[in-house]
Amino acid sequence: MNRQQEFVLRTIEERDVRFVRLWFTDVVGSLKSVALAPAEVEGAFEEGLGFDGSAIEGLARIFESDMLAQPDPSTFQILPWRGNGKSEQTSRMFCDVLTPDGEPSAADPRNVLKRTLAKAADMGFTCYTHPEIEFYLLKSDKPGPDGIPVPVDQAGYFDHVPGGVAQDFRRTAVTMLEDVGISVEFSHHEGGPGQNEIDLRYADALQTADNIMTFRTVIREVAIQQGTYATFMPKPFSEHPGSGMHTHFSLFEGDSNAFHEPGAEYQLSRTARQFMAGILKHAPEFTAVTNQFVNSYKRLWGGGEAPSYLSWGHNNRSALMRVPLYKPGKGQAARLEYRGIDSAANPYLAYAVLLGAGLKGIEEGYELPDAAVEDISALSSAERRILGHDPLPSSLHDAIRQMEESELMPEILGEQVFENFLRNKRAEWQEYRLQVTPYEINRYLGVL
Amino acid sequence: MSSLTRTLISRGFSDLETSERFLGFSELADIDQGTLLDALSVADNPDLALQSLVRLLSAVPEARTKLTMADPEGGEPISNESLFRLLGASEALAEFLMRHPEHLDVVDGVPSIEPMAADAAGLRASVLRAVGADTAAEMPTAAMTGITARLALRSRYRRHLCELAVRDLGAASPQSVMPLVGAELADLAAAALEGALAVARAEVGEAQGSDKVAAVRFAVLGMGKCGARELNYISDVDVMYVVESVVDPATGASVLDEGEVVKVGSAMATALSRAIYAPEREPGLWEVDANLRPEGKDGQLVRTLDSYLAYYQRWAQSWEFQALLKARTIAGDQSLGESFEAAVAPLIWASSEREGFVESVQAMRRRVTANIRDSEADRQIKLGKGGLRDVEFTVQLLQLVHGKNDPSLRIRSTTAAIDALTKAGYIGRTDAALLRNHYTYLRVLEHRIQLVQMRRTHMMPTAPEQLRALARSLEGPLSLKRPSADSLLADWARVKRSVSSLHEQIFYRPILATAAHLSAEDAALTSDAARARLAALGYRDAAGATRHIEALTAGVSRRAALQRQLLPVLLGWLADGVDPDAGLLAFRRVSDALGTSHWYLGMLRDHQAAAERLCYLLSSSRLVSDLLEVSPEATAWLGNSKELVPVSFESQWTEIQSKLSRHREGSEAIRLIRLLRQREILRIGIADSCSLLAQDEVSAALSDTDRAAVLGALMVAEEEIYAGSEPLTQVLVVAMGRQGGREIGYGSDADVLFVHQPVADLPESQNEAATQQAKAIVQRLTALLTAPLRPAIQAERVLSVDADLRPEGRNGPLVRSLEAYREYYARWSSTWEAQALLRALPMAGSDAVAEGFVAMADPIRYPQSLSEDGLREIKRIKARMESERLPRGADPARHVKLGRGGLSDVEWLVQLLQLKHAHTYAELRTTQTLPALHAAQALGLVDAADAEILESAWRLAGRIRNANVMWTGTPSDLLPTARRDLEAVARLCGYEQGSAAVFEENYLSLTRRARAVFERLFYG
Repeated sequence: MNRQQEFVLRTIEERDVRFVRLWFTDVVGSLKSVALAPAEVEGAFEEGLGFDGSAIEGLARIFESDMLAQPDPSTFQILPWRGNGKSEQTSRMFCDVLTPDGEPSAADPRNVLKRTLAKAADMGFTCYTHPEIEFYLLKSDKPGPDGIPVPVDQAGYFDHVPGGVAQDFRRTAVTMLEDVGISVEFSHHEGGPGQNEIDLRYADALQTADNIMTFRTVIREVAIQQGTYATFMPKPFSEHPGSGMHTHFSLFEGDSNAFHEPGAEYQLSRTARQFMAGILKHAPEFTAVTNQFVNSYKRLWGGGEAPSYLSWGHNNRSALMRVPLYKPGKGQAARLEYRGIDSAANPYLAYAVLLGAGLKGIEEGYELPDAAVEDISALSSAERRILGHDPLPSSLHDAIRQMEESELMPEILGEQVFENFLRNKRAEWQEYRLQVTPYEINRYLGVL
Repeated sequence: MSSLTRTLISRGFSDLETSERFLGFSELADIDQGTLLDALSVADNPDLALQSLVRLLSAVPEARTKLTMADPEGGEPISNESLFRLLGASEALAEFLMRHPEHLDVVDGVPSIEPMAADAAGLRASVLRAVGADTAAEMPTAAMTGITARLALRSRYRRHLCELAVRDLGAASPQSVMPLVGAELADLAAAALEGALAVARAEVGEAQGSDKVAAVRFAVLGMGKCGARELNYISDVDVMYVVESVVDPATGASVLDEGEVVKVGSAMATALSRAIYAPEREPGLWEVDANLRPEGKDGQLVRTLDSYLAYYQRWAQSWEFQALLKARTIAGDQSLGESFEAAVAPLIWASSEREGFVESVQAMRRRVTANIRDSEADRQIKLGKGGLRDVEFTVQLLQLVHGKNDPSLRIRSTTAAIDALTKAGYIGRTDAALLRNHYTYLRVLEHRIQLVQMRRTHMMPTAPEQLRALARSLEGPLSLKRPSADSLLADWARVKRSVSSLHEQIFYRPILATAAHLSAEDAALTSDAARARLAALGYRDAAGATRHIEALTAGVSRRAALQRQLLPVLLGWLADGVDPDAGLLAFRRVSDALGTSHWYLGMLRDHQAAAERLCYLLSSSRLVSDLLEVSPEATAWLGNSKELVPVSFESQWTEIQSKLSRHREGSEAIRLIRLLRQREILRIGIADSCSLLAQDEVSAALSDTDRAAVLGALMVAEEEIYAGSEPLTQVLVVAMGRQGGREIGYGSDADVLFVHQPVADLPESQNEAATQQAKAIVQRLTALLTAPLRPAIQAERVLSVDADLRPEGRNGPLVRSLEAYREYYARWSSTWEAQALLRALPMAGSDAVAEGFVAMADPIRYPQSLSEDGLREIKRIKARMESERLPRGADPARHVKLGRGGLSDVEWLVQLLQLKHAHTYAELRTTQTLPALHAAQALGLVDAADAEILESAWRLAGRIRNANVMWTGTPSDLLPTARRDLEAVARLCGYEQGSAAVFEENYLSLTRRARAVFERLFYG
């Protein structure tokens, strides 16, 4: 029993915690939860908690379903939306999934990210990420009479809505996030009606991924408390912008920011350029991970600010990767923003593939193409081809194909997650293809 | 030979020419040469002593007065032995005296032959005084800074070092004073650090204000050998720094905030190490190494106590706790340092309850036993087999295993820990005495080598004169022996051998002592302690293991006595395998079966490699240990590599023939044939798991064995059926599938086709009778090979004969005449039958029929062209197989035969190429997969990169199939999922210990790529 575990046990005792939820994630990023009585926590630390992994998407094969969930005491947190004030609290811890022999399971997404971070550490880097998460606030989880979801307001980017539901919502949500130890940097109304954005403060990549999982839960809980519904669906409205999860990445070597080099173009170090080159080169292979649903491609190709071509730029809002502006003298703030991810991605896998691709760029010393200075969506496709701005996959099917061809993805994800993930995605595409959509009915039924 | 030369030799000089020259120098003009040579002869290296003396006298003429001293008993002045010994032992210290003649008084007086160590407080006070600090002050501050301070500090340190060397060199028994010398060196280093800290206070005080410095409590913790008080003459001194603000007694608040304390503390630490070793006229002492601190080189140089604790509680790794074992306050704020020690102590011992302790113990054990591959390894005193590191690891390992329950073992120094382990009964007295002796012997060697140049070296010198001097230095001044270089090397080799065997002895022998009553000399562990040790080694059922040990060692038989001797070593070897428990049980069975045969005991005792192999086999392979249990006499092969060479088909056949001639009766004969096959499989299995055979050789040898058995069975069957009358027909057995490709594994069936050819001139009317006869022979042959025998052959792996690949499958006649085959193929044959024929290889029967068969088969299997329909048919069969043949629920990625990128993918692809191109290219006409693949690559039908992927996947899948049988004893085509099975299979496939995950990942990735190649080239 180490100190952190002792700390957890003591807190459970002192704060009158009645339930301890163990959280882990399946391969598509859905949160899974098991509740434990406090008395069982000690055993879970020591031996892990056995569960049937075959029921969890992509975790185990049917014939070897026994798995262990081992709580990570450093992620212990009281859940403020449960319990009644000071007593009868509920808490949660994230778990690592282990095989029955106690080895980290190769199929656990959290372990995939841990492995990638360990690789970064071997190269001398610590990875920090900083996500900007967009989501829609709706009146309910059911669509309206016209089959279209109903947003809570009709405001736009940065709009201040007096007496607005969204504003109340953001205030409560931010308070609750701070209560579970997640620092919020920024929150505002986004472009679409009922669309909001909350930016989390930067933290190391594993913690950020844990935070995103918690974030989604908190946002949903607060929405339910207020009689609304929050969705992270990548593109709920055809005519309004989708919900992205732009993420800023930075690598540190000891205390210094490895992306910063005073005097270089955009103050970008060689490492930063190679990292960016790695991501751009491998983006088509990992898009199935960062944009994992059929609906994700409606966002990517639905116009607006969504970036759909391989490109980078300095403050170019149409580029897939952006070098954000920061104040002079703040070299530590140097970072790169990837704008392709959407809010429904599995954060563990998405960050693992992005970091893995970036590290690959550093390892192999990739050359970065020239920056894009124009609005890429305004170029003709011939122009784009000449400038080397290849498109991202245009559908889930396309993305699966490109991922299957990849050598880097199985290396980053591990052969087992790679296989499980693709199997899951192929099944999704297969199911989607069987659907006759309202669009088809509206368009064809009357005329054919 | 001049008389001077003779005198020089008798006085122990080696470099006669140089020494004669030095004797002629003017500095020695008025000294009586005879007296001088007598005086020099006390030095370990008289040549060096003479040269240093001349240099000393030329630099410091007044040193002359030191050559002699007053006789304490009032007689004539006597020679100053201390001076000559020092000059002959250390060139570096002689040079120090030339630089600082004011310290020449260190050689005054006669050192004791049983010297005491200098008092630590005295050393501290002396160094502090040298830099002008108040020795009584709570925070002594030097009165000088910079170069002056460094000079004062360093020369005072070296003066004390000279004093210590003089005492050390004068001791009658260098080995017995070694612990004292090590302790004093550590105290002296501590004193130097205290002095340096005083200088640092002065220097940082000048820069940042003395009030700030006065507000910082600063403690230096010694780590490693300095912490353990067993330092070398010269070595890095490992330290960590703890800082804390002084508390204002009036307010009870800290004077400085944490940031400030760390800032001032860091400046002090930097100044401190500068005072010790920044380059200067008087050279630096040694490197002050703070890299054991949290986060190593990247971490803060100093931390507060809370910051250390926060780190150790949250982040620290196992090795960091092991390093803390040795931490001790050596300078600065004593009470702060002690709070640190007290705070980390519980953490250290709790660390042994952490997860992965057994793994880390095993890793440590591997490090002890692993040979350091290094061109200089055999000159290494510290690393290398039987070096100091071995002793230290052995001791630390025992401390870790038992220390969590027994606080009396929580001791820093190696020698004291050996004593404590002995006292508490964890090591036998004899072993402990030996271990202690070896340790001090090796340490004295190291000390004497380092003393000469004050260089950090752990290498045995090579020059004979240096070796001779070293040999003398080990003896002490009272010894009259003049040991030679050879005797030194021989002694050293003996110690090294003894150290490496002592490890096993000390670790395992006491386990035995609890089980069997050994002599009182041996330590007897409590049964709990014995179990703790077994568990630390990886025995899962420690209680069961104890029982086996009991059984193996009980009694007065010669076997029990021998096993009591050998088990300590065997237990370690068994623990190297994946399943030590099963290994120990199997060993007990083998031993029970063979215990009285004298060769077996002899082999165990005298043939280490064989015994090691045996242990490895028993704990790694169920197949081999099952077979060894029923035929224990095969253990004898282990001692003789010639016995592990597979027996050729011809020799097996000769043996079978000779058996057949003696045993006419069918059941008797077939019994011998099947036993012979079992024996050869065991031989191949042993050779394979000892890595004596390549993968291809294993398959070929297994195929030979099967072939000999089938041929033998055919002979017996024919004999029976012909029953003395003229045969009507002759039977040929054709191997198919992997058997035809000679690519089988341990569990493989024999896929065959039966062909017969009626004898020439047989009347038409007899044709039916001939067919019946052939059928009878074939049925008899199958029965002979597979039917249970009475009494049964234990652990037999029956060769099942499978003729399902014949035309029309199970519905077709079991055997056809050559003519019937020809007709069949001409009329009906489908492409897949042509494909099956690609692997057809005559195995047993008449040569003439075999030729006829091949002539018939070639045009079919190497068709002029493959029709579109045929091509499509093959592809469809393969596609259907993939969806249907895979066992239910099996993960295709892990099925080595039918799964993606597995054996069947590669083989079908190769066969497709053969069907398409073998008619044109004769190189492709082979029944074997790899030669065909290589030929296809050479012809440009497959490109080199693809061929390489296919070959590696095919080979690995085949190895896994074999390893599965080896490990579990039963065939399986699945890559195991349980970690232990995976580990075992990985090791049998040639992977390093502990790389199960890597192995799994490699297989999955290799076959994924092979599948991609297959899909591209096969389905197109």
